[in-house]
Amino acid sequence: MTEPTLSGTALLELREHFENPEQQRETASIGMWVFLITEVMMFGALFTGFTVYRLSNPAAFDEGSKEMTIVLGAVNTALLILSSFTMSLGTYFCSIGKTRLLSYFLILTMVIGAVFIGIKFTEYYLHWQDHKVPGFWFEYHGADARAVQMFYVFYFILTGLHVVHMTIGIGILLVMLWRNLLGSFSATYHTPVDLAGVYWSFVDIIWIFLFAIFYIPGLHLR
Amino acid sequence: MTIPPHTPKTLTLVFASLWILLLGSALIGFLNLGHYNIVVSVAIAAVQAFFITGFFMKALYERKIILVVVAGGIIWFLIMETLTLADYMSRGWLPFPGK
Repeated sequence: MTEPTLSGTALLELREHFENPEQQRETASIGMWVFLITEVMMFGALFTGFTVYRLSNPAAFDEGSKEMTIVLGAVNTALLILSSFTMSLGTYFCSIGKTRLLSYFLILTMVIGAVFIGIKFTEYYLHWQDHKVPGFWFEYHGADARAVQMFYVFYFILTGLHVVHMTIGIGILLVMLWRNLLGSFSATYHTPVDLAGVYWSFVDIIWIFLFAIFYIPGLHLR
Repeated sequence: MTIPPHTPKTLTLVFASLWILLLGSALIGFLNLGHYNIVVSVAIAAVQAFFITGFFMKALYERKIILVVVAGGIIWFLIMETLTLADYMSRGWLPFPGK
């Protein structure tokens, strides 16, 4: 089998310190995965804190979870899974040279992401109305109100940090869309789009765990 | 040009599996499993995370070196998590003079 000849965008995008596009792609890929491991460490520390407090106050944390709007949480989870799917389809079509389809799927993914953020802020507004935002306004009339408030502290920190990541993700996809419209990507060069997809799906994974720890445990108390 | 191994058919199957797992997670949540409710929901989330990492993030199609990086990161995270939780959970197991 002969080595493919460099041409088009692959040649244009090959930086001088790499021998070939494959080496450049692999290096970028490792960089993205190492970055994601640091993200796992950051979210992991918060998950660990949540676990410690939950182990100390399981009943109060279930009570806090009972107050979540399961329909909004489930719809948001379904939307994020859908957005990972559309992003994957976009990278697939780019890798076979159909860059126009990549643009459509990038737009679709961003729209789904924006809807997710909209629903999330609707939930925040409902929590604000119910006086469930930790602080002076917090109200809970059951037993162990301080532990329930702690549940909401973790809820707002973790979901808030996730929304920040979603917003950054939409920004990255906007840049990918702009570059694609300028003709930067092709079947031979599409590493940035691939890695943007990896980041987007990682943010999806974080949400799936947030859904599992914040929305599900209190369902059986309804 | 090489045809990528992750075809739309595979991706669609993974997507459908993820939605079914989400539905399963929500339905099982209505059962009273005591402390195991959160254990089951996190376990289902872990399965979903595996599917997303493997297929949507294409980790299963990457070269071995990247799999080593991913596995190394996850194992390191689990070591830190285990040690931290072991510390917190075992506090108070042994009597301390003066406490």
